[in-house]
Amino acid sequence: MPLYELGLLLNADLESEDREAFLGEIRQLLAAEGATITKEDVWGRRNLAYQIDHKREGYYVFWQMEGPGTLIKPLEYRLRLSDQVVRYLNLNLDRELQRSRKMEQRRRQAKARKAEAAAKLAGAGAEAAREV
Amino acid sequence: MPKKKFYVKRKKVCKFTAEGIEYIDYKDVDLLRQYTPVSGKILPRRVSGTNPIYQRKLTRAIKRARHMALLPYVGD
Repeated sequence: MPLYELGLLLNADLESEDREAFLGEIRQLLAAEGATITKEDVWGRRNLAYQIDHKREGYYVFWQMEGPGTLIKPLEYRLRLSDQVVRYLNLNLDRELQRSRKMEQRRRQAKARKAEAAAKLAGAGAEAAREV
Repeated sequence: MPKKKFYVKRKKVCKFTAEGIEYIDYKDVDLLRQYTPVSGKILPRRVSGTNPIYQRKLTRAIKRARHMALLPYVGD
């Protein structure tokens, strides 16, 4: 199951209880679709870089979740219908991190190979010293 | 005869290659700000010295940040 990152920009003017209720609803939806939230990053109120609907502030929430690809469609449908959500962004983090993971693996392999070569060299050196 | 002007050419370094940043996160606003002047435009590769691979990633990250109202489309 791929790892997703969901970024939400919510209306900051609404009451915090409404917001909590909405986030709870989204959580339920995710749970119903078989997804688990692995990381929550709540930025809270923050100034927007530009005005949206004459608003200068927004409420930022970022979630990382693991779930089947089928969850995206109902989730985005729900987010688009809601008047709480000003903007949202869904990313497949697995796809995003593919390259960095690959590079990391390659680096680890190179390091292991280097260590092995060094050990071999040291072993050969010791043998040569014993022969002499 | 007019005085000849001399410039010291500074070597441009790709920050992402140098520091080993492989994934550019759109939430990292402080990092992205370094590549957007006050105008809000994306700094070209010929100015910043970023490698092509990372320039493309950077561009995508900046555009995502703009969508989420973390960075402006148009500056002051």
